[in-house]
Amino acid sequence: MATEVAPKSILKKPTNPTTASTSKADRDRQTALYHADLIQARKDTELEILSATEELLEYPLAKSPFNASNPSPDDAKTFKSLLTPFQPRDYDELIVERNCADLCGYAMCPNPRQRESGGGIYRVMGTSGKAKDFKILAKEELEKWCSEACAKRALYIRVQLSESPSWERGATEYLVRLDLLDEPKSVEALEKLDLSAEESQNSQQNKANLALERGDQTISVRSRLVDVKIEEKVIQRKAEAPSLEEDGLGGKLSTMHLALEGHVPIFDGRKQVGSGDSEDEDTDWKL
Amino acid sequence: MSTDEDRQAKQREAGSRETAKLWRAWRTVHELVQDRGYTLAEEEVKITLDDFKRAHGDSEGNISKSSMKFSALPSEAMIQRAQIPPSEREPNPQQPTVGTIWVEFIEGDNVGIKQMRNFVQFLGGHNYGTGIMVTSVNVTPSAMKIVHTQLDLKVEVFHEQDLLVNITHHELVPKHVLLSQEEKAALLVRYRLKDTQLPRIQTTDPVARYLGLRRGQVVKIIRKSETAGRYASYRFCV
Ligand SMILES: [Zn+2]
Repeated sequence: MATEVAPKSILKKPTNPTTASTSKADRDRQTALYHADLIQARKDTELEILSATEELLEYPLAKSPFNASNPSPDDAKTFKSLLTPFQPRDYDELIVERNCADLCGYAMCPNPRQRESGGGIYRVMGTSGKAKDFKILAKEELEKWCSEACAKRALYIRVQLSESPSWERGATEYLVRLDLLDEPKSVEALEKLDLSAEESQNSQQNKANLALERGDQTISVRSRLVDVKIEEKVIQRKAEAPSLEEDGLGGKLSTMHLALEGHVPIFDGRKQVGSGDSEDEDTDWKL
Repeated sequence: MSTDEDRQAKQREAGSRETAKLWRAWRTVHELVQDRGYTLAEEEVKITLDDFKRAHGDSEGNISKSSMKFSALPSEAMIQRAQIPPSEREPNPQQPTVGTIWVEFIEGDNVGIKQMRNFVQFLGGHNYGTGIMVTSVNVTPSAMKIVHTQLDLKVEVFHEQDLLVNITHHELVPKHVLLSQEEKAALLVRYRLKDTQLPRIQTTDPVARYLGLRRGQVVKIIRKSETAGRYASYRFCV
């Protein structure tokens, strides 16, 4: 039943005059649109990841003298930016995909992947060195990389990836900054020349931080269902250090050990009532 | 027997086992294509092991998978089945085109993005409507994503292992019959249903995969019952 008077909202007064006069149909439409946007954002991201994976199959683009320990700055830059929407799971799929093409799993490495000859599922490593180097590894794991160094480089990236899908990421997470284990060697020299680029990246990061502070949680999805604004609580009275003597904490301290999930059962009052009851009961059988 | 001879004998045996496997998968996939309503000659479907060896094997008796591919045209009945009957809302509905089907056995240790892209491009370039890829290895997750992003093209991936027997010939698998669009409309009118109110079958169901069901299609399942003779039920594909 639709009424002329809009129901009084328990939420904050809407600042936008158009949202004030929403009917149920409008709200339903908005909800539907919001969810459609979410699904679309998700589809877009998945497609983006797929094309990034395909692109990274061709990497590294730069030939020697660049290699995995000294990638070309351009390659490293695109590699990092392509990985932005990736979750660890997507990154694993990239490694599988590169292995399919017989490449080392680390996308900055031009070498083919290692092929272990012989059967067996496991390999025993480090039998000649120190005891701490000794390990037993699955052959399958070994064959993902060209060398152990590459395995380290690749996994170093993996742990930096965000676990949350990019369409749900907040402002800070959205601009993940990845570091390579082996950054381009000439990078210091380049950085001095190209300070402005570094600065712009910093300013981007600052913007993202500012956005988070303002409460702009999501960049990827356009509209939210409810306007959530985070406001600093303004405190008027003078700041005071908490003290034990005050009734708040001091009184609670004696019963704190009885608290069950924050609730302190009261025994005193009940006991008196209870004892009264028992006296009644005691006299019952005398009758 | 010397170890050398022994090894050779073992190799021959392994080879013939592999050949037999491929032959069975080849036959099943032909039956599948025929059961879906494409036209195939009877001798193509019921090929004997010897004929198969002659057609696809080399002088050593090894089967070359690269020669294992074929296409088939949809039959009249199959095209008729896909026709959308005119309704009140749409007196002249746009009729779907039923394309040719392409089946190919893929060689190699792995199927990744590259192989899948090539396959999809080949299908698109030759105007095939459906493509069936038969592999002996698992397809990578990213490659499967390519399959799901195809809009007009229907790409299906079957594992050789899954085609060794024709599951629809098993006595415990009831007969599944795909309803034509017209029959589906009549069914819904008769029982005054919306199609979503029917019981469901998933597209990933083995028989649904065998028949290549798409979302929105309805199958009739005919079971034999000891007490009631034959008994039909319907499933809506989701
Ligand atoms: Zn490497």
